[in-house]
Amino acid sequence: MRLPKLLRTSVLQLTLVYMALFGVSVVALFGFIYWSTLGYLERQTNETIQVEIDGLFEQYERRNLQGLADIIAERVQRDDENRSVYLLADTFGRPLAGNVRSWPRELDNLTDQWIDFVKPDENGAQTPVRAGVVRIGPGLRLLVGRDIRELAQIRQVFKRASIYGLTLTMGLALLGGVLMALSARRRLAELNRTTRRIMAGDLSQRAPIKGTRDEHDELATNINAMLDQIEGLLAGMRHVGDSVAHDLRGPLTRLRNRLETVATAAHPRREDIAECVEQVEHVLDTFNALLRIARVESGAHRSAFAGVDLERTVRDVCELYQAAADDRQIALVCDVRAAVEVFGDRELLAQALTNLLDNAVKYTPAGGKVTVTLERTDDTARIHVADSGPGVPAADRERVLQRFTRLDQARSQPGNGLGLALVKAVALQHHGRLALGDNAPGLIVTIEIPALVRAPAPLSSLPAAMPRTAG
Amino acid sequence: MRILVIEDDKDVASFIRNGLVQAGCNVDHADNGKDGLFLATTESYDALVVDRMLPGVDGLTLIRTLRASENSTPVLILSALGEVDDRVKGLKAGGDDYLVKPFAFSELLARLEALERRAKSGTEATSTVLRAADLEMDLLRREVRRNGEPIDLQPREFQLLEFLLRHAGQVVTRTMLLEGVWDYHFDPQTNVIDVHISRLRSKIDRGFDRPLLHTVRGVGYRLDG
Repeated sequence: MRLPKLLRTSVLQLTLVYMALFGVSVVALFGFIYWSTLGYLERQTNETIQVEIDGLFEQYERRNLQGLADIIAERVQRDDENRSVYLLADTFGRPLAGNVRSWPRELDNLTDQWIDFVKPDENGAQTPVRAGVVRIGPGLRLLVGRDIRELAQIRQVFKRASIYGLTLTMGLALLGGVLMALSARRRLAELNRTTRRIMAGDLSQRAPIKGTRDEHDELATNINAMLDQIEGLLAGMRHVGDSVAHDLRGPLTRLRNRLETVATAAHPRREDIAECVEQVEHVLDTFNALLRIARVESGAHRSAFAGVDLERTVRDVCELYQAAADDRQIALVCDVRAAVEVFGDRELLAQALTNLLDNAVKYTPAGGKVTVTLERTDDTARIHVADSGPGVPAADRERVLQRFTRLDQARSQPGNGLGLALVKAVALQHHGRLALGDNAPGLIVTIEIPALVRAPAPLSSLPAAMPRTAG
Repeated sequence: MRILVIEDDKDVASFIRNGLVQAGCNVDHADNGKDGLFLATTESYDALVVDRMLPGVDGLTLIRTLRASENSTPVLILSALGEVDDRVKGLKAGGDDYLVKPFAFSELLARLEALERRAKSGTEATSTVLRAADLEMDLLRREVRRNGEPIDLQPREFQLLEFLLRHAGQVVTRTMLLEGVWDYHFDPQTNVIDVHISRLRSKIDRGFDRPLLHTVRGVGYRLDG
């Protein structure tokens, strides 16, 4: 069965549940008020009657039937407002004393209990009476009652008020629920409309924000932030696509030309073919690097993240480049100031560091210096790779982190312009960041990664006086 | 060497086959996992080259099946998937080495030879002294001598020489060295390995008439056996 649209909204369903809860609460509340007001009055009446019965019974015991009849007559006489009801009757219901003409038929055979009955008056009006009936002697029954007209009236008023109150509460709750459901639907319908338009291809659409700072606004804000991110990613992808096309067209065109020359030559030279292979290799390398960056950015490596000893990685990579640096007469200094462990991928971190050292060694002139520093401040691991090369102008620092950016001075060096892009991707995947700065002269690249919190390194916990064994 | 190539891509298969035949190998080829598994279990080979993604039975299942039936023929896995976790999966399935497409044929050949060699020498007791010509490495005392003269090596140079000695007489590529000695599976852009090799060469070959460590152009290095 298909419910009407409004009935299916969660707000209205919630409203109905609340209505039921509300109804139960209101009924319970009225019940309590009834018990503590009308109930009290009733109990009072009963008590009064009981006291009177006890008193009359005592009189009967002391002064016999006649005395009792006299007292009843006197009391009837005294009761101006005619609020008390007395009846002393014999076995056959014949009245001996009191202000009720005959034993009420509905009270036949009843003794020792409370009863409500209606006393017909002389003028035809009917008076509701609460009465207690006792057997006081052989064949004698006594009825003592009170006019409870007021009580009955109050009860009537109370009943009416309860029904009206309950109806009103339910009505208001339902109305409020429907209004709330309608308003929620309207807000959600706006969001739905926006998302549908976006799905249809218009990514510039944004969800409306009312400024009410409620959860709808929060949702809209989040959706908008998500859309901004998607738009940025798409723009990035487009940029990469353009760059790939542009950057690979060059080598591929050269390759094609060379192959054409080889194909038409009478005696193709081996070196020409070898050069073709080399160029293909270069293109493949570029593709591989691009794939790797994409892979890293997709977060596919995250599942394999584990604790990585950064000190070891830094020392290993420095050692890997030490020989190459020596060869170029560059002083490569590895300055590990703290043992740091991070949560990540050893291989990716090593490759990022390799790329940085590769750049540093490549662009630093002979006689220069490259310093790799690993330090830890609070819960952040920081790796600096500083060189004394030409550096990167401040204006270009953001740009060189993008794929395929190669500054003019770099064009003479081998490379594909993807090294720093990978480093950035690796840093971001480790919830870290990458910053380029001025080493005056030269470039200083800093990678920051959140460090794993471990017990303090054993070296620092050693007493200062403890002699260190020579390594 | 008798080699079975299980590869469904015709071009790649004939590229490998031609190269291996030229290198003097005896080559069988299967273009799907089922035939490949049949050949691998019924014939005897020195090594298998198995593509990871195959029609019929996929490469990793094929290797697992082989290993389950106690066939220990060395297996070189070929794959377009080159990330560390892919590699680990391949080796866990029972592969002995992992080569990412596209690859240079020389790399494939060098790795196959290394696999075959390892399979043959695997039964020998693990000796604590490695030798090549008059070069001697004592693994326990961490000493290297050539013609009786001690040679002082840095720890990494020692590891590098150990790797070369274990593959003496064979061509080892730069990536094999990077994997075997540094345990990195990526390609540094600059040829840092070359510099390490030339340092090692200056230590073990300088002053001797006969050089032991050779560069094989465009492929890698070879230490004379």
